[in-house]
Amino acid sequence: MSTAAPPRKAAPRRERTGGRLSNGAFALLLTAPGIALFATIIIYPLVSALFTGFFKQDLRLPGREFVGLDNFTYWLDGEFLTILKQTLVFTVGATLVPFVIGFALALALNSGLKGSGFMRGLFLFPWVIPGVVVSFLWMWIFNANYGVLNGVLMDTGIIDESVSWLGQPGTAMLAVIVTKTWASFPWMMVMLLAGLQTVPRELHEAASIDGAGSIRRFFAVTWPQVRGVASIVLLLEFIWNFQHFDTIYVLTGGGPAGATETFATAVYQTAFKGFDIGRATALGGLWMLLLLLLVVVYLRITERKDDA
Amino acid sequence: MTTSGISRRGALRMFGIGALGMAGVGALGACAPSPSNSGSASNGGDTKSKDFDFTSWSLNEEAARPAIEKIIAAWEKAEKSKVRAVSYPYNEYLSQLTLKLGGGETTGAIHLDIAWLAAVAQMGKLADLGSVAPKGGYTDVALKSGVYDGKQYGLPWNTGSIGVIANSKLLAKAGIKKHPATVEEFEDALRAIKGLGGGVVPYAAATKVAQLKDIFPWMQTFGCTLMDGEKVTIGDDASVDAVTWYKKLHDAKLIAADVDRFDARALFGQGKAAFYDDAVIGKGVTAAQSKDKTLADAMQPMMRPVLRSGDTPQALLWGGVIAIVNGKGQDAATEFALHTTSDLATTSEYFTSRALPPSTTAGLADPKVAQDTFTTEWTEKITKTATGSPFWQFAQNAQIEEAVAKQVQAVLVGKSKPKDAMRKAGEEVAALIKR
Repeated sequence: MSTAAPPRKAAPRRERTGGRLSNGAFALLLTAPGIALFATIIIYPLVSALFTGFFKQDLRLPGREFVGLDNFTYWLDGEFLTILKQTLVFTVGATLVPFVIGFALALALNSGLKGSGFMRGLFLFPWVIPGVVVSFLWMWIFNANYGVLNGVLMDTGIIDESVSWLGQPGTAMLAVIVTKTWASFPWMMVMLLAGLQTVPRELHEAASIDGAGSIRRFFAVTWPQVRGVASIVLLLEFIWNFQHFDTIYVLTGGGPAGATETFATAVYQTAFKGFDIGRATALGGLWMLLLLLLVVVYLRITERKDDA
Repeated sequence: MTTSGISRRGALRMFGIGALGMAGVGALGACAPSPSNSGSASNGGDTKSKDFDFTSWSLNEEAARPAIEKIIAAWEKAEKSKVRAVSYPYNEYLSQLTLKLGGGETTGAIHLDIAWLAAVAQMGKLADLGSVAPKGGYTDVALKSGVYDGKQYGLPWNTGSIGVIANSKLLAKAGIKKHPATVEEFEDALRAIKGLGGGVVPYAAATKVAQLKDIFPWMQTFGCTLMDGEKVTIGDDASVDAVTWYKKLHDAKLIAADVDRFDARALFGQGKAAFYDDAVIGKGVTAAQSKDKTLADAMQPMMRPVLRSGDTPQALLWGGVIAIVNGKGQDAATEFALHTTSDLATTSEYFTSRALPPSTTAGLADPKVAQDTFTTEWTEKITKTATGSPFWQFAQNAQIEEAVAKQVQAVLVGKSKPKDAMRKAGEEVAALIKR
């Protein structure tokens, strides 16, 4: 019987750095400025703002009073669900409509149409205009009393009397979604076009030889190839729209009668019109929780895509 | 294997975290706690500095800017100093000013609507001008408009009222020979004007939240006092009647949706509205932006129609004061405010360019002002019976106005019944006052 000790597992060989930094230390060094910046401009205000949600605090006056969860229950017992519903209506509308338009245009531009380069540049035009300018342009178009849209519709006999597009709950949200669509479809078009250009032409040719028509080729060849890009584009646009502010604020300010109020406008109005920073940060905190869920979904999708 | 050493998954994850960060900033960056110096009574700097800031919404308005810039230029030349002009649009002014003042960024002289004085004075940053005010020769009414909690925080620049302006040409076209005196006559007149066709909006009344505070004089016309002692009376039968009537005008298209002061001036300037609410300043602004060069002559101040003959016509006091922020350039800014609001030559020239009557006894006696028909008629028909809002005393005045405006708008767009909306408005106002 041998009493000899089992052979020792070889200890992992430490990388020789020769006085240089290890990979881990080097990575830490590289990320340190980013982490410091992140902590300063994101983490600190975030924690500070979340903390403020537990206080009754007027933006104009010094001092504050601890009120526990009062600010949160104010929203949850009140308008939270209405605001959530309206935020979702805007977000879904302003994500899907430009996606469909952007995808259709990307397909058209990818088909080798004559002048597609020029068209691509032209369609990008709305995207390069600042959001506030776009909103003011559309505000003028939708104006009930001297707007272009009413003028055209009345001149062509489609309507007899001017319509208050931004002044009625039913049409105000629609007008806001149309405006946001105009501003964001070019970005989606460019991303999807980039995805489409990676689809090998041979696959289409092979499918054609096998007798597949254009619709069949779209679902069997094109869509599976661009699905990844499309899902990322959709999810990112959804997250951005969930936070979107300028179009809604400029066009309707959240009105009429709160019909286009979203989390972004409600937080702004509460903080800077109502000066109630306690309630505003409480709503901001609830809003952020929902955004966190979206980000988790985003990470899951990107991870799954990476594993595939 | 990646050549950069960063995996795709890692990069995407970082991108996700970045998105979350942006979300956090978007959600909460705007809600950062009030600045640490908000408790300080001074915004710092050398109070003896000859250079100072002057903040005014009028500097943002095409029609007003040249006249104010002229005053500033004359001051700079005479005093060999530098005045930095700062401006925000009227509808955003109070929010912006509050944030900058609280953050210690606003110093010098600030132009304030008299409705905002209490809200700004409660921040504790304004100088008491009690020792300076007697030098100005202001009228008693004007002087009072700059007082909050017994202290003189503002030197009155202009004191007037908000009332109804009529377009006499359109009235004549519709066969209306005299201004309607009662609500009933007013409604008849609106229907006659509507009959002219051509997309005319008979009364360009405010229907957007930003200016729906114009409903208050109509509520008072119907008998609502807004407040009775410490009790909010919005929600009583009179306020419900007023909003029901407003809704009736809206549904009959006698007033239009989506109108604020800017839209009302535009419609009136285009000859598409026969009546609208404005301050005395409206004549200058609206006529200046109209292509019709005869419009100014057709503009007439009108007594707000009353519910029953013999009732007192309702109007809201309106005006502007110049207040001084404790801190940099305080002394020079105070002298500037006194000069701008009370120097006879300055106020006279300002009146000539903007049709804004001054707030001093000598200024009002100036022949240019005293012989101006529109101004004297305005004073006689509108300012004479004008009163301040009982809500001005509260720092929450802007929120109170907005709370009522939102409920009125809910009625106009059919989302709420007048009775329910006014009850809710009353409750919200009471809660705001308590808060």
